[in-house]
Amino acid sequence: MCFKNLPVEFDEQGNARLKEGVADPFSYEVKEVTPIEQDDAKLKKLLERNGHIRTVDFDPVTRVAGALAFHTVVDLESRQVLETDSMATLFRGYEVILKGRDPRDAIFISSRACGVCGGVHSTTSALALEMAFGIHPPPMGTVARNLLLSLEYLYDHPLHLFLLAGPDFSEPAVRETNPEIWEQAQRAPASEKDIHGYSTIGEIMTAMTPLSGELYVEALHMTRVAREAYVLIGGKYPHPQTVVPGGISATIDISDLNEIHLRIVKFFDYGQKVVAVYNNLLDFFYEVNPQYREVGRRPANLIETGQWDDPEAYDGTFANVDDWARQRWAPPAVIRDGELATKSMTALNMGVEEFVEHSFYEDWTDEGAGNEAYRFREDPNGNPLPPNHPWNKETIPKPQATNWKDKYSWSTAPRWDRTAMETGPYSRLWAAAVADDYTKNRFIEPTGRSLKLNVPKGALPAREYEWVIPTESWGAFERNRARAHSILYTALIAYDNLLIGLDLMRKGESKVSTKYKVPKDFRVGAGFWGAGRGYLTHHLVMDKGVIENYQIVTPSTWMASPKDPFGNPGPYEEAVHATPLLENFEKPEDYKGIDILRAIRSFDPCMPCTTHIHTENRVISRDVVTCACGVDDEHEH
Amino acid sequence: MWSPAPAESTTSTSTEEDGPDDRLRVLVGGLGYRNLRDGSVGIHVIEQLAERSGNGVEVEDVSYHPVGFSQNLEDRPDYDRIVLVAAVARGRSPGTVTAYRWDGQLPDNEEIQTRVSEAVTGVISLDNTLVVCGALGGFPDEVHVVEVEPGSEQWGEELTPEVEERLPEIVEAVWSSTRP
Repeated sequence: MCFKNLPVEFDEQGNARLKEGVADPFSYEVKEVTPIEQDDAKLKKLLERNGHIRTVDFDPVTRVAGALAFHTVVDLESRQVLETDSMATLFRGYEVILKGRDPRDAIFISSRACGVCGGVHSTTSALALEMAFGIHPPPMGTVARNLLLSLEYLYDHPLHLFLLAGPDFSEPAVRETNPEIWEQAQRAPASEKDIHGYSTIGEIMTAMTPLSGELYVEALHMTRVAREAYVLIGGKYPHPQTVVPGGISATIDISDLNEIHLRIVKFFDYGQKVVAVYNNLLDFFYEVNPQYREVGRRPANLIETGQWDDPEAYDGTFANVDDWARQRWAPPAVIRDGELATKSMTALNMGVEEFVEHSFYEDWTDEGAGNEAYRFREDPNGNPLPPNHPWNKETIPKPQATNWKDKYSWSTAPRWDRTAMETGPYSRLWAAAVADDYTKNRFIEPTGRSLKLNVPKGALPAREYEWVIPTESWGAFERNRARAHSILYTALIAYDNLLIGLDLMRKGESKVSTKYKVPKDFRVGAGFWGAGRGYLTHHLVMDKGVIENYQIVTPSTWMASPKDPFGNPGPYEEAVHATPLLENFEKPEDYKGIDILRAIRSFDPCMPCTTHIHTENRVISRDVVTCACGVDDEHEH
Repeated sequence: MWSPAPAESTTSTSTEEDGPDDRLRVLVGGLGYRNLRDGSVGIHVIEQLAERSGNGVEVEDVSYHPVGFSQNLEDRPDYDRIVLVAAVARGRSPGTVTAYRWDGQLPDNEEIQTRVSEAVTGVISLDNTLVVCGALGGFPDEVHVVEVEPGSEQWGEELTPEVEERLPEIVEAVWSSTRP
């Protein structure tokens, strides 16, 4: 069954409809949450164990993009996390900026939502515009777009694995927080030495040392290789200048493709090395202490819109979205408790709701009952949409004092079928692995339980790798392992597209864009794409040639989300809550929180930068750099 | 919080039109985010100086992540001097212009690592540029800085009056820093 919580069912032809006899189908009751600090009985009981119960705030969480603060209450005696609150400390507001503008501006303005991966916003915006305009690129335009996406990920993955999350596994971090593990690591042989060159796990940890370690420095270099290839098409990075509705505005010739080729193949060898490093490292931690499987653990609930369009199949229409989306190199899917819930893009789209009960926004729906803002009761194909769907969403900022019981984050709480979902490189791998209709088999082979990656020869020999869907546990370490495999997966997709591009070039099909006019009548569109960190959608409503409503849902909106109206935590909150405190410390004041940080960073948080906005009666502070608002019990924004 | 220390400090009001000694190879880099009022002053300055480039002086928008800037500098023939201009909020009166030669002192490794992380995730700032390029390489011995205290870094295309009226002075402070 696709939906368990939303009142939507499917007829024999697979068409969605609201269940009959449900009076107020999408309304809900808000469940009150009571933070420990505001629960007198619980607090008293905890205080009896004085000294072991601590409030630990990570503010800001460093080595993540943007402004994230994380509030925890931990029991250092039982080594449990008792309470978690994830707080996006800055307002983004791009939805407000875009209202009333020429829709083509969205490509360039939305790109500024992120300083790491702005290009994905540009493309997602172009996809939304194409759906609204009724156009699509010629095949070479789609190939160019796929190459841009791949190259952006090939920048992003090394960055995460060695500059952001990687230092938590480096020699200095392990020596400081678990010296007994460092002692063992120095003696533990590394089985994949033939590929990565390190004899022991200790040598791997040393190589991951920030600034001086070989793997750290090499990752910095590889991010450059990816950027060099990216700008050949995109013009610049991270905010490309060439993404337009209907394709790209740069011409591509054979020398461009050759230059990109030279750089993509470097990731065949590099990807093999990274997989070998992470396999050895993570397996070592599991051997030392199987409880590391629990770090960052949560149910395998993942959402993936799919990405990398088939150059022939993609037509940009919502009418055919279920057909062309299935032809993608990463097809759409929702995974619930490790099982495929749906592979339909329309079902995925109709199940998305954004809630704001614990966010600094006003509810625009009267708790799901709907009101005059409930404009789209159906999608363009006639499937039912809830009032909290992005096409219906109104962004109404409501800055106020932070209160863990009430509102505490600028992130909304997106849910699919009212379930918290995570997304990332692993959701791409997972969605492809379970695709029984996968069409991109030149280098990639889904088995239903794994994804086989046939890596061509580089300096290293050709070799088949297999990412196996984790069945024992889904946690922080497996997120990182999947991310390592994603370098190979992405490089293979890039290579596949490069070969298609060369073939198109040989046939003389080098056209990269389609002419269009901005329509003046009422239109809707949606871009379903991805960022390095996962799910990315832009929902557009336009009329009279300007934007009426524009809604962006980013991967970190899903994962950094606060609690929903049903009392369920967001993914970061859920994952940290399940994390055992395995750090070695004698006194509470020595506690560093390495396990919690490993859990949070495994999601690769990216809190989009924000922009100054005036609301009706107050000013919302603006900051475009990584900064930290304090997480006091109460403070004004 | 780390902040750069001057090896020497001046407030320049020079209006001399002389260019630099042609034996010097100098890069003038403007830093900032566009459309953030005074936060964009570095970009305004290099747009005004662009027509004076040549004779050994290159003028460039270096408002991109400092790791990339460091890598680009490593690839180029060595510069004799780099002059950076940017808005930096340090609690001074809006429009205050401070010019100095950076002493090259870096913070501890943990702070550098934080700055690198910020750099690769999109943060553009003068301090990050100094720390990251100072640590990863690419800078010549002589790095000169012209800082401007912003009055407002909020959304908007126009400078505040305090900074706008001093713009000619800021431009000349930068240009004079290119001279021997």
